[in-house]
Amino acid sequence: MTALRTVQITRRVDPHLSIDTYDPEGELMLLHFGPQHPSTHGVFRMDLYLDGERVVKVVPHVGYLHRAVEKLCETLAYVQITPIVDKNDYVAPMTNEQALNMAFEAALKLEVPRRARWMRTLFAELQRIASHLLWLGTFALDLGGALGGGSTVFLHCFRERELVLDLFEEVTGARFHYNTHTLGGNRHDLPGGWSAKVHAALDIIGPRIDEYEAMTLENRIFLDRTIGVGKLDADLALELGITGPVLRACGVDHDLRRDAPFHAYDEVKVNVVTAPGGDCLARAQVRLGELRESVRLVREMVDAVPEGSINSGKPVKLPVQTKIPPGQVYVAIETPRGELGTYLVSDGTQFPYRLKIRPPSLHALSALPYIIPGGTVSDAVAILGSVDPIMGEVDR
Amino acid sequence: MKSYFVTAARALAVTFSNVFRRPVTVEFPDVIRPRAERYRASFALLHEEDGDEACIGCLQCERICPSEVISIKAGGKRESPITGKKRGYADDFVLDLNACIYCELCVQVCPTDAIVMTREPELPAFGREDLVLTMAKLYANEKAKHRAWGDATRLNAMQTPPKPPKAAAPAGAPAAGAPTAAEASARAAAPVVASPLASGSSTTASGSSTPPVTAPAPVGTASPAASVPASASGQSASGETGATAPAASAAERGSTPPGSTGEGTP
Amino acid sequence: MSEGLVHGAVYSVLIVTVVLTATAMALWFERKFAARLQTRLGPTMVGPSGLLQPVADLLKLLQKEDIVPEKADAAIFNLVPPLAALAALGAAAVVPFSPTVVASDLDVGVLYILAIGAVTVLPIFGAGWSSNNKLALLGGMRAVAQSISYEVPLLLSAMVPIILSGSMRFGAIVQEQADHHWFVVWPFFIGIPAFGIFLLAMLAEANRIPFDIPEAESELVAGVTTEYTGMKFALFYMAEYIHTIVASAVGAALFLGGWDGPFWPGLHWMVLKTLLLFTAVYWIRWSLLRFRSDQLMGLCWKYLVPASVLLVGASAAWVVSR
Repeated sequence: MTALRTVQITRRVDPHLSIDTYDPEGELMLLHFGPQHPSTHGVFRMDLYLDGERVVKVVPHVGYLHRAVEKLCETLAYVQITPIVDKNDYVAPMTNEQALNMAFEAALKLEVPRRARWMRTLFAELQRIASHLLWLGTFALDLGGALGGGSTVFLHCFRERELVLDLFEEVTGARFHYNTHTLGGNRHDLPGGWSAKVHAALDIIGPRIDEYEAMTLENRIFLDRTIGVGKLDADLALELGITGPVLRACGVDHDLRRDAPFHAYDEVKVNVVTAPGGDCLARAQVRLGELRESVRLVREMVDAVPEGSINSGKPVKLPVQTKIPPGQVYVAIETPRGELGTYLVSDGTQFPYRLKIRPPSLHALSALPYIIPGGTVSDAVAILGSVDPIMGEVDR
Repeated sequence: MKSYFVTAARALAVTFSNVFRRPVTVEFPDVIRPRAERYRASFALLHEEDGDEACIGCLQCERICPSEVISIKAGGKRESPITGKKRGYADDFVLDLNACIYCELCVQVCPTDAIVMTREPELPAFGREDLVLTMAKLYANEKAKHRAWGDATRLNAMQTPPKPPKAAAPAGAPAAGAPTAAEASARAAAPVVASPLASGSSTTASGSSTPPVTAPAPVGTASPAASVPASASGQSASGETGATAPAASAAERGSTPPGSTGEGTP
Repeated sequence: MSEGLVHGAVYSVLIVTVVLTATAMALWFERKFAARLQTRLGPTMVGPSGLLQPVADLLKLLQKEDIVPEKADAAIFNLVPPLAALAALGAAAVVPFSPTVVASDLDVGVLYILAIGAVTVLPIFGAGWSSNNKLALLGGMRAVAQSISYEVPLLLSAMVPIILSGSMRFGAIVQEQADHHWFVVWPFFIGIPAFGIFLLAMLAEANRIPFDIPEAESELVAGVTTEYTGMKFALFYMAEYIHTIVASAVGAALFLGGWDGPFWPGLHWMVLKTLLLFTAVYWIRWSLLRFRSDQLMGLCWKYLVPASVLLVGASAAWVVSR
């Protein structure tokens, strides 16, 4: 065994260099992290080249969950596409539906009634709460272990997430994959007494966020694990096309809800949360801040949903197939993970010619080869958790 | 160093405070969590009020299913044994629940409200073949399972924008004249005062749940008059126990078994 | 001589039986306690209130297939699990559970405890090495570094009751506390910090959160025990619980007065104090996140070791001044 050798890691590691540049004698240990692993978020593989415990190079591999969704959508009518793309970002499914249907409506120049726009925004904010709760739980699991403090935070977060899912169950009938957005509006209207239930759920969730912060953001062990870990430069993030909480944690004040408002975001004020650090702690701070902000927004919006119809036209049925005139459109929304874009090329038939979905998690994952090297294996796990990838939308 | 102990103590206190909270565990199978009224689980094929099969074999549900789980053998036009008129039938109807994604699109497109979803709390089976719903099973589910709220008429009515009020309201259909008002007040969950259609049953506005005056009901299971959004009537029962749902609307709809809001076992 | 041997043998069997039963109960207790911390119920179905759950777990692990990976070092791989359990059990030999119930009251009792504690490192390292698995290897390396580092504050903080009572024999230490005050009560400014350091070092030796980086489940699947199945895994699992119980008993004897109590001293006090420490260990385990291995080392060498050296000096000064 040779003596301990420090490998020079430049601040901006070029991940395109092959491993032979770093390690011509092959002395680094290659550790496959995944695809079966308790803490890769979904099926994801990272090849870690280790010098002892320090990571020298990271090669991420995606595609284990590829289901050819975009190709499948080329054979489905527009109304059938919604339940299929539900399964992309399976943690915040309504946002997928929202993005797709917005693209279709933009291509058709269809006006969505005001009530439907408000409802969609309301659901999106509730999804943000649910998604960030799940992120917090799994991040604590990564840091603390399935048999330990992490699982306590995890179960607490899921207990609250169940409340939000129950709300969705009241409206749509499904807890997870709703298929409630459709061309021109929504399919399910709010039942009577729903806003009272929302307030009841938020009265429980609101104070519990303080508990989560006590167990994470203010906990010294958590701070030790996350301060300075996985520091991402703002210009690197912008270059890689990263959006969402990861970008806002680098100090960049960019949020599509405020900068390019869609649906009811032009009628409510969204306070964008940023943090200057760029490390895991900043990402955690941004997400918890967004959680609080979403709770506030939902409280503000749920009583003010305007009256009206929830759809601009009769429901689409297959014999009356919607044909979108030839053209292309790109529509982007802000999901809990960042900018989810839909690029639709239509050719005048009832099927899309090409439907491309721009997932925010894919761009966030592309930062891993830059920010993980230099840390230890434990840091790699923490960084992966803080970036919050959802492999369903990365691989589609 | 001190901060370790202080923050650790805080975390310990938070965790310990949870010991005194009531556990959120629902002890399945002794206790079954009630499902929402619109909860969609399995499927049922319905008969009409006169006993005839509601499914006319139009193949809309088969065509709209994104997962292609429905296989129908259309039976062609036959004379109905009950009404004597010629109408379409489905000879065989198979729905593969293994591959279903529970998107409710088949329910939405059915022109006769024949296929609806049921809201049983779980769908256990001993083998994959048990989850392939044959026609017999689907018709058996009509009585065996609690129906979900949604059927085609209701969903369509909920999504269709209301027609603008006509200038001269016909005598026999005040509903047509005031759908928006009733619907708006229904949705606002405020006590409905002005609308003559209000049944005023409870806190959730029931709106136009009891108008007997309008056009004949299409299939008998839906609330009358397609112009009156049935959503208002649907909302009256959501979130309430069956006991308070007005008996008239329950009988009209005929789909929600009285007194049931959550017991899932068939 | 032979009488001592018979006495030792009888009590050994007794104590081993009791400790193993206590391990089974500890399994149940931990799951219920952890469940309550997470607002859920824990095991309820097997036996009244889930009391037979450990039996069910044991039966399940017994009937699993025993797999030895092809390229694993089979000799060490198979030898190591019982060694882990034995090393953990061995420490129970010198702990006085009551004035009369002690398997073998060695004159160098505390030294023996620390020696046995050092032995517990070997099975973990052996498991990590012989599994032929990179994750296990990483876990084994971390475990070795952590265990041998934390032996230093463990030893130094255990010196405090030795100095304060003047003997390494457990019986004498407990007797001293029974005659005067428990060491955490007086001198509390030495006893409480020493107890705290002992507790932390004990957590680290037993690989409990926040020091459980060797078996960090979210990073290393199952750490050193990744490749173990069935009864071998059960032995590792049990070794952890045994280690925790015995270490709680040792801590109770060293600092909390052992079988001494305000009234009616005896076995029940020892049991109570062991339970108390045990609960504290699990409470900490289920509430806190884990340290990274370099932070763990930093904590040990930069904070705990200097503090415990100071405490040793302070206790010596105290004894001299008395």
